[in-house]
Amino acid sequence: MSNAYVADARVAAAAEPAARISEDWLAVILGLAIFVLALAALVHVDLIGWVVTTAVWSNLSQALGATSRSYAFLGGVVALLATYAALTVALSAAAALLNSDVKKFALAFTAVFWIAYASWVIGNFAHFAAVTPAEQQKFGISWSLKLTNEGGYIFALLAGLIIANFLPRFAEAIREAVRPELYIKVAIVILGGFFAVTAAGRLGLASSLILRGVAAIVEAYLIYWAVVYFVARKWFGFSREWAAPLASGISICGVSAAIATGGGIRARPMVPVLVSSLVVVFAVIEVLILPFLAQAWLANEPLVAGAWMGLAVKTDGAAVAAGGITESLILAKNAAEGVNYQPGWILGTAATIKVFIDVFIGIWAFVLGYIWTNYVNATPAAERARAREIWQRFPKFIIGFVITFAAGLYLAFGAPADIAKNVPAAIGEANTFRVIFFILTFFSIGVLSNFKALWQEGFGKLAAVYLVSLFGFVIWVGLAISWIFFSGITPPLAG
Amino acid sequence: MPQPDNIRDELHNAPGEPLLPIEKKLIAWSLTIGLGLLAVLTVVNHFIGWSGS
Repeated sequence: MSNAYVADARVAAAAEPAARISEDWLAVILGLAIFVLALAALVHVDLIGWVVTTAVWSNLSQALGATSRSYAFLGGVVALLATYAALTVALSAAAALLNSDVKKFALAFTAVFWIAYASWVIGNFAHFAAVTPAEQQKFGISWSLKLTNEGGYIFALLAGLIIANFLPRFAEAIREAVRPELYIKVAIVILGGFFAVTAAGRLGLASSLILRGVAAIVEAYLIYWAVVYFVARKWFGFSREWAAPLASGISICGVSAAIATGGGIRARPMVPVLVSSLVVVFAVIEVLILPFLAQAWLANEPLVAGAWMGLAVKTDGAAVAAGGITESLILAKNAAEGVNYQPGWILGTAATIKVFIDVFIGIWAFVLGYIWTNYVNATPAAERARAREIWQRFPKFIIGFVITFAAGLYLAFGAPADIAKNVPAAIGEANTFRVIFFILTFFSIGVLSNFKALWQEGFGKLAAVYLVSLFGFVIWVGLAISWIFFSGITPPLAG
Repeated sequence: MPQPDNIRDELHNAPGEPLLPIEKKLIAWSLTIGLGLLAVLTVVNHFIGWSGS
């Protein structure tokens, strides 16, 4: 059974009815809708406090609950059912706008949601998640894997990997709802508001991230890309058509950059799509390894760790998710030693770095398109790269991130005191949805990672370039750059 | 046009494409500008970057 992206490649050239709206704009709408609904809590109207949240548990009956105390009367199971129902309705409507089969999507999403959330609940079992001796004592246990509650993401990822590699027919059956890019984009839009509220308390530190974000752009586009392109062309003998999307996928942002570059240089549609599937596989490997390395090596340099995730992990979903796991692991390790950092900074650093890198995808694709259509494969004037492609290829979901970030900052600084004091709680409810979309993202990434199918498709040479570039250069230069710009800077302490 | 099933064959048997002058310029300029900007940003960070929490 073919990897999902390979299947996509086979129909890429076939005529399909155009979606009424792009996935990016849908992510903006969904993310903003959740954000706005959450803000109703500012005027004491709690519209989404029923969303389910999961706590570390030793007794399963205590695992689930509603996010807001106002809805505590519902109990965990009802909150979970309500969350499932709301997401199914909202995402089915989104599927309709994407011209997907709504019934098929709803059925597939049912499987995706319940398996992914069950994995999250399992990951919150005390023997997996409890970290400090105090926590272990609280749950009456003598050992724990100390993965923190966000280790649940790893369980969701593993569940997806098991399905992809051992139950390929089931993976294909639920493919309609396996949309990691959509889920992570919604999560990132919501994350903007959460990070703004977090950053508002330390604006100097937050604004200094911008300088470092610029460094990340320089590194990804000008240094990484050039080296990976050279390695692909000279060492591995790839054609220009393969090397350019490959370089963009490995150095900038896997899926989006590979597809934008492929479009810019007028490559065959299947080329960037196949590169994208490889990017997803390696992102999975990175997510399973790098956060733990970061905890072991960089517990005393938390923001270096966050920046490293943003620079080294090459899909939006995996990078931001890796930032979340890294934050959880590093905060826990420091908490065990009596140092309690304010949460949100490591995740926010990883997300901000990634967003900064994403902003320039359209510009880079245009630059490459200009070079290719004018100098490499000179085409008739009508087919040459045009400046409007910059906007066409700009990742629109970033607009959502900027809006929620700006709104969060305004609420933190510009709102009257009696409203401002409710902002963290309101944003917290939206953040619960962000966590759920993260869970869906992790699971979906796993489902799309059929290692055997990729190998059978002849990905060995592509994987070799990826391995050499990523583990031989990108990860370590990313760590060095993160160290140069973030070492010695720690998040504020909590409380 | 090669089909996806023959990716292995396409990648292994594709004729070599030597680097064009424009490709060499793209690589060289990218690295030069990138390393230069990185040096500038490192200096700027050293003098005006946030130095503590």
